[in-house]
Amino acid sequence: MTTTKQKTFKRLVSVLAAALALFAFTEHAQAQQILLTGPLAGAPAVRKLRLHRQGRFEFAPAVSFTLLDEYQRTILLGARLNYNFTDWLAFGAWGALGSAIRIPTYLTDQVQAVNASRRTPAADPNSLDRRLTAVNLGPDFKKQLAGIDWVVAPQLTAVPFRGKLALFQSIYLDTDLYFFGGPAFVGLTERKNCGSAGEASCAGNYDTTQRMAIAPTFGLGFTFYINKWSALGFEYRGLPFSWNTGGFDTAGSGKDKKFPDNKITNDDRQFNFNQLLTVSYNIYLPFQYRVSE
Amino acid sequence: MKSSPIGLLVAVALGIFPAQSWAAGKGKAAAAKDSKGAAAASATVDADAAPAADATTTPAAGADAAAAGGDAAGDTGDEGGSETPGGSGLEDICKIDPAACPNLDMDKEAARPLKEQIFAVQQAYALRVRRLELQLGWSFSLNDQFVSHPAPVLALNYYITNVLAIGLNGAYYAPFNVDKSFNGQVRRAARVSVPLTEYQWAAALNFTYVPAYGKFAGFGDFIFHYDAYVVGGVGAISVRPIPVIDPDNRNFSFEPKLAFNAGIGLRIFFNRWFAAVMEVRDYVFNDKLENLTPGVGAQASNKATWYGETSLTNNVQAQVGAAIFLPFSFDYRLPK
Repeated sequence: MTTTKQKTFKRLVSVLAAALALFAFTEHAQAQQILLTGPLAGAPAVRKLRLHRQGRFEFAPAVSFTLLDEYQRTILLGARLNYNFTDWLAFGAWGALGSAIRIPTYLTDQVQAVNASRRTPAADPNSLDRRLTAVNLGPDFKKQLAGIDWVVAPQLTAVPFRGKLALFQSIYLDTDLYFFGGPAFVGLTERKNCGSAGEASCAGNYDTTQRMAIAPTFGLGFTFYINKWSALGFEYRGLPFSWNTGGFDTAGSGKDKKFPDNKITNDDRQFNFNQLLTVSYNIYLPFQYRVSE
Repeated sequence: MKSSPIGLLVAVALGIFPAQSWAAGKGKAAAAKDSKGAAAASATVDADAAPAADATTTPAAGADAAAAGGDAAGDTGDEGGSETPGGSGLEDICKIDPAACPNLDMDKEAARPLKEQIFAVQQAYALRVRRLELQLGWSFSLNDQFVSHPAPVLALNYYITNVLAIGLNGAYYAPFNVDKSFNGQVRRAARVSVPLTEYQWAAALNFTYVPAYGKFAGFGDFIFHYDAYVVGGVGAISVRPIPVIDPDNRNFSFEPKLAFNAGIGLRIFFNRWFAAVMEVRDYVFNDKLENLTPGVGAQASNKATWYGETSLTNNVQAQVGAAIFLPFSFDYRLPK
C-alpha cells in the first residue's frame, strides 16, 4: 500500500469513527433527556391498555391478492389461526386455496392472441414462428401457465407496536402493527418437465403437473379493532420461490445455463419475489379481553 | 457552635422548601403515578384537573393524558405557591370584603359530576396548519413487471387547515428506467413483442387530506405518533416508447401527457417537524404505444407509422422518504 493510499485510508477511518461517535453521542443524549427531565420518568408508557390479544385465539377468514404477476393473478381464499401467548407474541398458521380464482394478465391475452393467429387453418404450420415456438407455446397458452394451488404457512407473529387511531375525530380504533415469519409450503401447478432423457418431447406436450415448493414467508400487517372480539386486518406478505410461471424454456444451456435448451427442466424456474396483499376479518376468542394495570 | 448545624439544617430546609412546593405544584410525575393525588390537588382549584382523571380512564392514552393531567396540576401548584407565603391571605380578603370571600362547600364540589369533554386522542402531536411540508423520497413502481421506474421525488405541501394541504410534487425518472430481462425472455420464447414505455419526469398539483391520526406504543415502552392521508391531483408525465418492434428505424422522443393521480400515505413522526413517509400513488395517463407492425421500406422511417394504439396506463408508485415541516415549532391553539 502506498503512502498516499495509507493516508487516505487513515482519513477514511477517522471520518467513519467521528461519524459513529456523533451518532452514538446523539442517541445517548436523547436517552438521558428522557430519563432525567421527562415528567413521566418511571411511569409506564401506557396504562389500562386493552389487551386484545393476550390469551386469546384469533380466527381470521382472509382474502389474498397476488401482486406484480407476469401472466396470471391469483386470488387466494383462506384463513389464519393464531394463539396469542402474550399481547405481543403469537403462534399459528395461515392457509389458503388459490386454484379457484385466477385472472390472466394483459400480457397473457396478447401472447395468446398472437399464438392463436399463428394456428389458424390458413396459417403455415411450418412457419418460422411456429417452429421457433414449438417447445414453448401450446394451442392454448393459458392452460400451460403455472399457478399457486394452495399455501400452508406456520408462522410466528410479533406485535411490537400497539396504538390507536382517530378517524375524522369521530371514529376511534385500537390498532396494532405486527410482523410475522415462518416457512411456507406451497402447492403449485406448473408445466411438466419434458425433452430430457426418458421424458416425452416438449413439442406437442404442454401438460402441467403439481409439485410442492418450500419457501420462506414473512411480512407485516395492521389490525384495526372494531369491538371487543373482532377486527379488520390488512397484511403484506412476501413469498419468494422459483417457478416457471409461463411454462417456457428460457434456460438450461450455454454460459451459466442462461440460454434455452429445447427442454423444460428445473433450470427454467425463475426466482420470483412473490407478493400478496391480504384483507381479513379477525375474530377473537374468548370474546372478552383483559386490561393491563 | 453546637447550634450551627441546626442553623445550617434550617437554612437548607428553607432553601429546599420553595423547590419542593414548585415540584409538587407541577405534579406531573405525581399525576401520572398517583391519580388520587392529582385528584386531591385538583379539588383545590377546578376543572383543569379532569385530564388527570383521563390518565386512568382512557386506555392507551397514558402519556398524553398524564401530561395533560400534569399541566393541570401545574396550574394548581402555581396558585398554591403564590398564596402559601402570604399565610392568611384568604382570611384578609374575607375581612376586607366578605362578599368576595369564597364560600365553597368542598364536599359538594367534589361530588359534582364532571362533564369535561374528553378527546380520545389528546392533542395532535404535530399541528400542520399554516406549515410547509417538504417531502424528499425515493419511489419505485409496483405494477410494471416489464420496465421498472424508480425515481427521486420531491414534494412541497402547504397546509391551509390542519387537515387540508395544497402542494406540488415531482419525480425524475429519466436515468433510472430498467428494461427487465423478462421482456427479452418473452420475446425469445413466444416471439411476441410487448410495447414498452419509459418515463422522463412527472409533476403535479395536489390536494392532501389527513383524515386519520393516532399513536403507537412501541414495545410498551415508547410512544410515537403517525397520521394517514389521501392525496390526489393533476399534472403531467413525460413518456416515450422504448423501441422493441423496429429499434433500427424508430427513435422516439419524450412527450408530456396529462396525468391524474390519487394515493394514500402514512407519516410517522420522530419529532414535531420531522417524519418518515410511506406512500402509494397511482398516476393515470393515456399512453401512446409503439406500433406492433414494422413499416416497410420508406414507411419504416416515417414517424407517423411508429405509434400504434393508445392505452390508459396506471403507473402505481410506492414512495418512501422523509418529511420536514417548516417552521419547526408551532403554537397549540386547539382544545385539549
